[in-house]
Amino acid sequence: MDTNQLISVLSRGAGPAPASSVPSRLIPVSAAGFLVSVLLSASLIGLLSAESFTLLITWVKLGYALALAIAAGLLTAALAKPVSRLDRPSKTLLAVVGAMLLIGLVSFALVPDNEKSAAVFGQTWRSCSWILMAFSLPALLGILLVLRTLAPTRLRQAGWASGFLAGGLGALGYALACPESSPTFVAIWYTLGIFLTGLIGRMIAPIALRW
Amino acid sequence: MTQEKAVHSAEIRLKPLWLAAQSGDEKAYAESLFLMAGQLRAYFRRRMPFLANDAEDLVQETLLAVHLQRGTYDANYPVTAWLLAIARYKLVDLWRRRGRRDDLHDDVGDLDLLPMVGEQADVHASRDLSLLLQALPVSQRQAIELTKLEGLSIAEASNCSGLSESSIKVLVHRGLKRLSELVKE
Repeated sequence: MDTNQLISVLSRGAGPAPASSVPSRLIPVSAAGFLVSVLLSASLIGLLSAESFTLLITWVKLGYALALAIAAGLLTAALAKPVSRLDRPSKTLLAVVGAMLLIGLVSFALVPDNEKSAAVFGQTWRSCSWILMAFSLPALLGILLVLRTLAPTRLRQAGWASGFLAGGLGALGYALACPESSPTFVAIWYTLGIFLTGLIGRMIAPIALRW
Repeated sequence: MTQEKAVHSAEIRLKPLWLAAQSGDEKAYAESLFLMAGQLRAYFRRRMPFLANDAEDLVQETLLAVHLQRGTYDANYPVTAWLLAIARYKLVDLWRRRGRRDDLHDDVGDLDLLPMVGEQADVHASRDLSLLLQALPVSQRQAIELTKLEGLSIAEASNCSGLSESSIKVLVHRGLKRLSELVKE
């Protein structure tokens, strides 16, 4: 079959182009990834008590994770297309992380000296980032599988973005079980866990995203 | 004419056709793909001058990708930019694939043994898509043959095969998708 034949095969009865399917595919897989993280948190750690949800810190964690997932989701959606502008979603993502680091820093400055170490390390600093990353991996897998049905051409960047999105979703689920109570802790160890998930996305994307 | 100017003038011809194609004008779609094939041929040949057949393979592979992914085109950007982003990706993907299997530099080393390629507008690829079509599952192949090769409408193909119109569409889409995976192997 020569190229002109192929062209007539492709164009014959082609109909209008399908509407962009990027959001309609990314949103369900993100929701599923979040639910898996909730299930893992509930079954392996146990969800927080009802009164925890009256505490500001719980909402700081949930808010950070959600804002980060939305910003990374916008970046991932942009990278699912061959041509798109990345500056705005990248800046939004940086602003979300920057805001959380600032909150963590201010909170650290306000804590009395004898509690500073607890504010940074809490009870679970050794495991927090790793658990968060592990709970994000199902979401990462799903997002990469969806992304490869679209048209990403900047695979490494798409890997980072997918990892940050998955990390945000994993953190959103883990925040429902995480016992820590310091914004400084969240700023450091949540961010590290999300970064690690991004790093995994970056490493496997060149293979996982081939289309 | 500089390369930028050439890209610019190609864009002026291509964009209105492509927009018409996107909204369902079949003739404009065929014309767009034809113009795109020319751009792709120039793009790939310049980057792999000793591998004319491979270049045509890549043209076809990229056209299939264009067809399957045309929903990701955003009218705010030049069509040419969108097309060349896919082309660049497909080229890098080919280098990567080759890098794993054999050493591309062999071809450059055997330069003297290769016939001069010249500028012939050979549109024949080294692989035969109609053979690849035989590798598809029967239902997908039939759907493609009825609608694409014999030129039946979706409704006629549906009558002819006893399948619903939507399953015909799905089979054609899946078949083309499978085809685009096969051309990479």
